[in-house]
Formats: sequence, C-alpha cells, structure tokens
Amino acid sequence: MNPVTEHRRHYEDLAQGEVVDLGHVTVSKEMVIAFASEFDPFPFHLDEEAAKTSLLGGLAASGWQTAALTLRMLTDSFLSTIASMGGLGFSDLKWRKPVMVGDTIGGTVTIAALRRSKHRPERGIVTLDFDIRNQKAEPVMSMRLANLVELRDPSIPLTEAAV
Amino acid sequence: MTRWFEDIVVDDAFPLGSHTFTAEEIIRFGTLYDPQYFHVDPEAARHSHFGGLVASGWHTVSVGHRKMVDALFAEEERLRALGQEPGVSGPSPGVNKMDFKAPVRPGDTVTYTLTVTGKRPSNSIPGWGLLFNTLDAVNQNGELVYHAELVGFSKLRDFRTPVRLRLLMALTRVPGLRKLLQPSR
Repeated sequence: MNPVTEHRRHYEDLAQGEVVDLGHVTVSKEMVIAFASEFDPFPFHLDEEAAKTSLLGGLAASGWQTAALTLRMLTDSFLSTIASMGGLGFSDLKWRKPVMVGDTIGGTVTIAALRRSKHRPERGIVTLDFDIRNQKAEPVMSMRLANLVELRDPSIPLTEAAV
Repeated sequence: MTRWFEDIVVDDAFPLGSHTFTAEEIIRFGTLYDPQYFHVDPEAARHSHFGGLVASGWHTVSVGHRKMVDALFAEEERLRALGQEPGVSGPSPGVNKMDFKAPVRPGDTVTYTLTVTGKRPSNSIPGWGLLFNTLDAVNQNGELVYHAELVGFSKLRDFRTPVRLRLLMALTRVPGLRKLLQPSR
C-alpha cells in the first residue's frame, strides 16, 4: 500500500457521471505576464498595446496558462483527493474564447469513463471532461483528460471491476 | 511558423532545440500548477510508481511551447536578415491530441521537433490559414516523452478582402451612412 495515498479515494470509489466543482480563479495582469514571459512570450500575451491589434483584441492569458490554472484547480479539488498516478494525456483541447486580464475562470469536470488498464491490474484510467467558463458563463476551454488512478484491490478480476 | 501560410511546406520538420529540467524548476512549476506529491515532494515521490520526482506533463509541454515560440522568433529574424518580410502567426485554437509517454526526471534533457502535417485556409477567420502540426519530445535516451497534435493560425500573404466587404467597410466610415448600415438595436 502506498502510504501517501492509502487514505484517499481509489479507482473503486469513483463513479461514472460524478461531477466535481473546480472552484474559480481570477487572472491578473501580473499572472498573465509572468507565465507568458517564461512559456509563451508572444506580444499579445505580454504587451497591452500590441495585444489590442492582435486577433485576441487585448491582453489575454496564454492558452497553456488557462490549461495550467485549470490543472491547479483540478489538483486542489480532485487529484489530491484520489490515489492519482499522473496523467496519460488529453484530447480535443479547445480554447474557445480568449481569457482576458481580469477574467474569472472556473467550472466542472465530469467523470466520463472509468476503465482498468489491460496490462497493469493495479491501475485504472479515469477520463475527465472539462467545462471551463468565464464570469459571463461563456465557455473558454474544454478538453478530455485521461488520468491514472491506483486500485485499492488489484486482485479483483478485470471484468468485475470494469464498470 | 513565422512564414506566410503560402510558403509553409507540409512535412517540413523544424528542430526546436533542447531543455534540461532541474529539480528546482520541476518543483516550482508543480507547486504553482500541479501540486501532486510526485511533482513537488522528492521524498514522498519515492512511494509513487515513478519512484521519484518527475515533471508535470504540463510543464514539459509548456517548455515545448516556449521552444516553438523561440524558433518562430528566430525564423522571423532569419527572414528579415535575408531582406524578406516574415509572415504572421496567430493564437492556437487548440490541441487535438497529447500523449504523455516517458516521465521527465531531474537532469533529463528533452529535445523537441515540430513537423507540419497539413494546412488549409480558415473557414471562420478570413485572411488566416490553419496549420496542423505534430510536436515530438524525446529524452536523452531516445525515449518519446510526449507526442502532440497541434493546431495553429498563420496569416495568408495573398489574401485580398472581397470587394463587397471593402465597400461596406468604407461606407461605414461616412457619417450618417454608418447609422443606416448598423442593425437597429
């Protein structure tokens, strides 16, 4: 048993259809510039004047920052409460609207699917659908994330645990 | 790429360079954005299936994005030095697929390569084209760290605004007419 995760929820405790509220975070100009300076130094993420004439129409967060802030909300409200083994990857990440300085983003994840790993009986895979919106309830980002989670009892035959 | 949409050749591969990840930066990113124990606590991480501290996948991806942006700027410089006007790249509408493969541990060096796999003019934004790219990140042992399928915008050099649209835009600048042309609220 992993002493770090033994008291957390495991694969067996999760249910398809479960909805997790991620809370929200307000994106400041300082946050946008700090992230962009390190990871996405396009003028439309760094400079207010340059941003005005860009496709984004004003100083906006890097899409990767929106993703990173979403991940932080996910870790705080879900991944730190389960026996997470890290992400496998994601698909269909869509940046639907720019996140502008001053916007508050938040939303939910829904457990879309749960399945056992075929090759590693001690691992399960939880598929999460994201719905991230701004303060006007406009969708800003969506994606589907696959995350590994420990089984409490890997001896359960594959077919029985596969929900 | 900071080339005009028309000049981008499908199947062209662009080396984006390498980055060596330190424990300090892995923990810093993890603390801010992905504070799971195996991204922030080297001691606790020993109990995970990773057996030690590993970088958040989102960290290696963010660094890969930075390498891509740096390559775009370098290409822009190169074209200017040749006396050419560089193209314009825009924000990305999304990522079709991202597979995290081998974990990145402190001291690992990750090398990134971008390949253009397809392109087409945008249906929703006149004057811009969509680029479909793959980004592969490989560690010092040749193991795949992640594979991404990305979408980006690139400006069309040869785009001319349709005459009707230009006429409409010109008319909206005439006082009086502007009110007539605007839909009533």
